[in-house]
Amino acid sequence: MMRKLSVALFVTLFAVCSGAAQAAAAPSQIKIGTLYAASGNFAAISMPVHRGLQLWVDQKNAEGGVFVKPYNKKIPIKLIAYDDQSNTATAATLYNQLITQDKVDILVSDSGSPLTSVAVPIARDHKMLLIDQTGTGAAFFTKDNPYIVLMSDPVSSIWPKYIADFLTQDGPKLGIKRIALLYATNDFTGTQANAVRGFIKAAKAPVEIVYDQGVPTTTTSYTVIINNIRAANPDAVITLGFPNNDISYLRNLQDSGVKFKWQFNIYPGLETEGLKKTVGAKGLEYIFTYVPSSVIEYKPEFGMSLPQFRDAWHKKYTDDKVEFGFNSVAGYTTGLVLENALKATASMEQLALRKAIFSLSGKLKTIDGTFELDETGAQIGEITPLGQIVPEGKDELKFVVVYPHDKASGKPVYPAK
Amino acid sequence: MPRWLRHTLLTVVPVIAAAALLPLGYSNQLLLFNFVVFLTLAQGVNVIYGFTGYLPFGYVGFFGAGAYGFSLCVLHLHMAPLAALGVGAAAAILLGLLLTPLLRLSGAYFAIANLAASLAVYQVVSNPNLENITKGPYGISLSGVFNPTLAYSVAVLILAATLGLAVYLRNSRFGLSLQAIREDAISASMAGIDVVRSRTLAWLLSALVAGLSGGVFAWYVSVFYPETVFSPEFSIFAIVFALFGGVATVTGPILGVIILYGIYNAIGISTPQYFQLLYGLLIMGLVLFLPNGLVSLFKRWGIDVP
Amino acid sequence: MLEYSLLAGLVFGLYFCLVGLGLNLVFGVMRIVNLAHGDFLMLGAFGAFWLFNLSGLNPVWSVFIMLAVFTALGLPLYYLLVPRLQRAKDPEMLSIILFFGLSQVIEALATIVFGPSERSIPGRVFGSGPVSLLGQSLPAAWIASAIASGVAVLFIYLYLYRTRLGYLTRAVMVHREEALATGIDVDRVSAIAFGIGIALAAIAGVFAPFMLGSVTPAMGPDINIQSFAVIVVGSLGNPLGTILGGIVYGISLAFMQSYFSSWANLLPYVLLIFILLVRPSGLLGRQVRSA
Repeated sequence: MMRKLSVALFVTLFAVCSGAAQAAAAPSQIKIGTLYAASGNFAAISMPVHRGLQLWVDQKNAEGGVFVKPYNKKIPIKLIAYDDQSNTATAATLYNQLITQDKVDILVSDSGSPLTSVAVPIARDHKMLLIDQTGTGAAFFTKDNPYIVLMSDPVSSIWPKYIADFLTQDGPKLGIKRIALLYATNDFTGTQANAVRGFIKAAKAPVEIVYDQGVPTTTTSYTVIINNIRAANPDAVITLGFPNNDISYLRNLQDSGVKFKWQFNIYPGLETEGLKKTVGAKGLEYIFTYVPSSVIEYKPEFGMSLPQFRDAWHKKYTDDKVEFGFNSVAGYTTGLVLENALKATASMEQLALRKAIFSLSGKLKTIDGTFELDETGAQIGEITPLGQIVPEGKDELKFVVVYPHDKASGKPVYPAK
Repeated sequence: MPRWLRHTLLTVVPVIAAAALLPLGYSNQLLLFNFVVFLTLAQGVNVIYGFTGYLPFGYVGFFGAGAYGFSLCVLHLHMAPLAALGVGAAAAILLGLLLTPLLRLSGAYFAIANLAASLAVYQVVSNPNLENITKGPYGISLSGVFNPTLAYSVAVLILAATLGLAVYLRNSRFGLSLQAIREDAISASMAGIDVVRSRTLAWLLSALVAGLSGGVFAWYVSVFYPETVFSPEFSIFAIVFALFGGVATVTGPILGVIILYGIYNAIGISTPQYFQLLYGLLIMGLVLFLPNGLVSLFKRWGIDVP
Repeated sequence: MLEYSLLAGLVFGLYFCLVGLGLNLVFGVMRIVNLAHGDFLMLGAFGAFWLFNLSGLNPVWSVFIMLAVFTALGLPLYYLLVPRLQRAKDPEMLSIILFFGLSQVIEALATIVFGPSERSIPGRVFGSGPVSLLGQSLPAAWIASAIASGVAVLFIYLYLYRTRLGYLTRAVMVHREEALATGIDVDRVSAIAFGIGIALAAIAGVFAPFMLGSVTPAMGPDINIQSFAVIVVGSLGNPLGTILGGIVYGISLAFMQSYFSSWANLLPYVLLIFILLVRPSGLLGRQVRSA
């Protein structure tokens, strides 16, 4: 009897001890640290990304947390987020704050290259893996730095590949010979312009660039430039700029009555809802653009589908202050990648997380397309196809994917009506 | 005890000791580094605005020139960081020389022209046509010389030298003559002060301070875009900090940075939502209710402030 | 290309007269630098945007609403800020910092209320399609903005030269201390000028969605520097000089965009510094240099 009791006692004690040990090993929460810009120049791109990530966090927490393999259980997420006010020096301090004071488990950068740039050396110095959301600057990714991975946008030097491929392969058949290239002089669109030039040159196709000019990113008036482009008599015009550039350009184009036969802009695809309100549906008709994940329905094997995500977004954010668009998908995608990485990682060590994220490359198919990394951590999947916006009924728009051919959903309208 | 020694013991020594010792116990070194940078810049503004009366609204131009002078030497000439820092300082002084004609302007005209000059330099540096030289808008990456610990120590040395300069101006004939020019340039010149030479010297000294800070900032941060080191917020922060504490003293700008940048970081980290609003209101309150800075309170109580 | 740049630059420049006009009036009368000028312009733009979205109100009518609202806002704001500022040792310099603070407050409030995204008003409210002028076609909204600018300048001219209050305003502009000594209620005159000044900014804002494509709460500082270029070129402190400044700025910008497009943004700064150094009083104006 005595013996039985002592065995029972021993077993109970052991169970209690080991239970306690297990509880101590598993943290009560997974700390994800990030920054956002609630004001200033980057607020317009930063807030949708941040809200997208926030939506994922809230969803997971409502389900009791995210599954973390090393602890073999669901753990709630604590999102620690600071406002860097679009100021890079402030952002640098705050990244350091997240690492050294808050001791976050996962470090997620603010969106856009400038606010991401300062995090790159800081993360590397502290041996923290930088979860780069949309900082697509090609210079961030080097073979000697394992502490960065790009989540949600392809690196700028790859992104415009399909534009160039379409113009050099399908273009000559349609009669496109003369190309005009207009870009805003910042890292994001400047790098894309360089890439377009390079792809076109490498293709050795019978097309030539007849107009090639950079304009400052703060340019707000394009009427004179549009007139100059028209004077160069191009068959196709590629315009690369930020949302404010695209809005001004497309409005000026519409207002000045000039019609190019083939016109590409980045943001009619990426921020369609915002541009519909600012440019008007009429001004977006027949524009070629990136067909982004917020429009094209990839069949996601993981996470919400596009309509579900859009509904969830509008249900959660009823204030209508931050536009739904490509950037909101980007923030949500960051969450999905992290969720899968935590499900697969061997430990919470930063390089183990990196390994887990790399193991998803080419396999994870989300709302944002196929997640794929090169050896430096740069995103080379999730490339947005080239499409054309065509009118549908009254004041409605529809995307027709025209390139690559295996994803195409229709033929391009050339020359544009 | 001579006055300058008392001032040094009361201001320079405790600030430098704190800057040197705090990293041992506090691990957000970058926050401390930014404090050191702003302490230096606020004193640089003090030199030109406090003692001479010229409001350098484009002060960041020198900071950016220093950052790019440093980075381009490291990138193209593979110079050692300390030597490159010298070139950064030289670049800032060169820009200062180029801008000396602006000193002929007075009041708001000078401030606006200086702002325009700093933006012009930024536009040139970030122009893609100069990609081969400046990397244009694509930014700088200096991973080869990345060494935050050493950069921090150098920044503290630069701060020490700048504080020394401020103590000198506060206690020397030269400093007095600068203040005389600020009060009334014509009387000063009649009293035998070489107005043009003195104010040019003060201008170049403040350019040197910003150039050195910019260089060491580039070294510490090591990956940046032109808009990072030419952000007008550097000028505005440095000016507001210096003014809040009170210019033409050594203590004023130090107090300004510690209190205001301290509050900035505290609200930034705790209640980010109304960050910009609170900060704007604080600045307005400062100008309306304490236009001569915190140290004017001490003066009112009859305390001699270093 | 040449003719088009010239004409488009002229029309665009006329709009920039309107952008700079209020800033110049405030500086001329009060000797204070309103660094929140661009933010008042932004508020005018968001006001017109809000009214359009709420009730489909044509921006032309918003102009009058903005005029009334912002003049009314300017008077208390003046009494709240400026008299206290003028008592300080160096009000001109301190005004830069005070109004920088105000600009931060306005931007923060606008971001809280409207969110950070780009906003605009559809271009069709001014009729769709271009207008032909001297054989060149220009956006209809540009012509409308240029006309509004002309009306505003005329209004300021009539106010300054044909009304008693305007006469007093000019007296304050010439010499504030003397005006004070002769018993002019300098504060009342200045407060009205301040109200008109920010109302002009807000009116320029109503047209901003059409001239600049879109507006965001963060647009203020950019507008400020362009306004400074315009008024320094024209003549700082002389509101009517702004016309010349705007036209010179607009035409030079159009030429830069045509022939050196990537350097176009250098223009306002270089123009500003050049004029200040070579002819510091502006193309029409008075002495500003010290030694």
